[in-house]
Amino acid sequence: MTDVFSIKRSGRHEAASAPAWARTLLDVFRAEDIHNLVFLPDTVMGRLLALAESDTYFRLVGVHREEEAVGILTGMFMGGQRGAMLIQSSGLGNALNALGSLAMAYRIPFPLLVSLRGELGEFNPAQLQMGRAVPGCLDALNIRHVTLRSETDLETIVSGALKTCYTAEEPFGLLLSAQLTGWKPEK
Amino acid sequence: MLRLDATRIVAELAGEAPIIGGVGNNTFDLIPFDRPRNFYMWNSMGMASSIGLGLALVRPDLRVIVLDGDGSILMNLGSLATERASGVANLVHVIWDNGGWEITGAQPAGSPFGVDLEAVARGCGFARTSTVDDLDAFRRVFAEAISDTRAWAIVGKVDPGDSPYRPSKNCTRLRDRFRTSLEPEGDGPG
Repeated sequence: MTDVFSIKRSGRHEAASAPAWARTLLDVFRAEDIHNLVFLPDTVMGRLLALAESDTYFRLVGVHREEEAVGILTGMFMGGQRGAMLIQSSGLGNALNALGSLAMAYRIPFPLLVSLRGELGEFNPAQLQMGRAVPGCLDALNIRHVTLRSETDLETIVSGALKTCYTAEEPFGLLLSAQLTGWKPEK
Repeated sequence: MLRLDATRIVAELAGEAPIIGGVGNNTFDLIPFDRPRNFYMWNSMGMASSIGLGLALVRPDLRVIVLDGDGSILMNLGSLATERASGVANLVHVIWDNGGWEITGAQPAGSPFGVDLEAVARGCGFARTSTVDDLDAFRRVFAEAISDTRAWAIVGKVDPGDSPYRPSKNCTRLRDRFRTSLEPEGDGPG
């Protein structure tokens, strides 16, 4: 049987080329004992995952549909460990019922990182609608969120968001704008 | 095989293992065998397998039991592949197969159309799988699974029928009791 533990989870991305925002986020996660990263990747999140995978502190768990991450983080919380959910805006729609009827109903705290497509620099017309819907979807579920746009004050904002997240015992959305993460050169 | 009778066998043999009850009848038939290490889902259909996986990953010292439904796992089949990819070995994933969505009026799904959930689990890489349709066989297979060190998927063919039992409707109380029971200084197996 395949040794699944020997397989690199972050694919082609390399830790050495990870952007500064990814380092900041992971530093804050570590300071808050967030040891598990449960993800369905996109290109932006892939760069953060490569850096995380180079650090034995972090455990990476890839899922095949985003709502699985809500369940996995619930089980981890029950077992006494913290984790973060890492997805793209298009995947938020795949996770809404679990966010509402599991994470909010049972009060399961975790940061919900959402890489925002469809806002700045978008080339793909099919990313526009779900990207724009992200803040409204979170508002409708009463999930707090902030949009991360620059390196300035990034550590302060994310640290503060995590503190509130665990006080409230609810998910807290950290929305990664393309202003921070960059956009694809495709026309 | 009645789901209630098979669930009684799970409760008898579970020992210290936490049990995740999937939404609806899978949780409801667990209520007569209530203990702090039972977790009861309201809504979030399909999430039992994922909750069990998260717990199994952070508590490798425990066997984690998931009591899923056929309708529920059909909503989250990808989670079977996730279980394998994550490398967990301490998971006993029981799927009660009554041929459909019982609680909403017994609409057929899955096995009546030839869907073989054990074959799906095997295809997703579960180390051990079995399909059983009587209590003696279920007891034998479940006893082997709970004392094993590998991941198991067991499809239990159960008769149609709704459960009359219900858990507390206080979700945070359900959360806290289960979570506390898993703490080192907690209540332990109940």
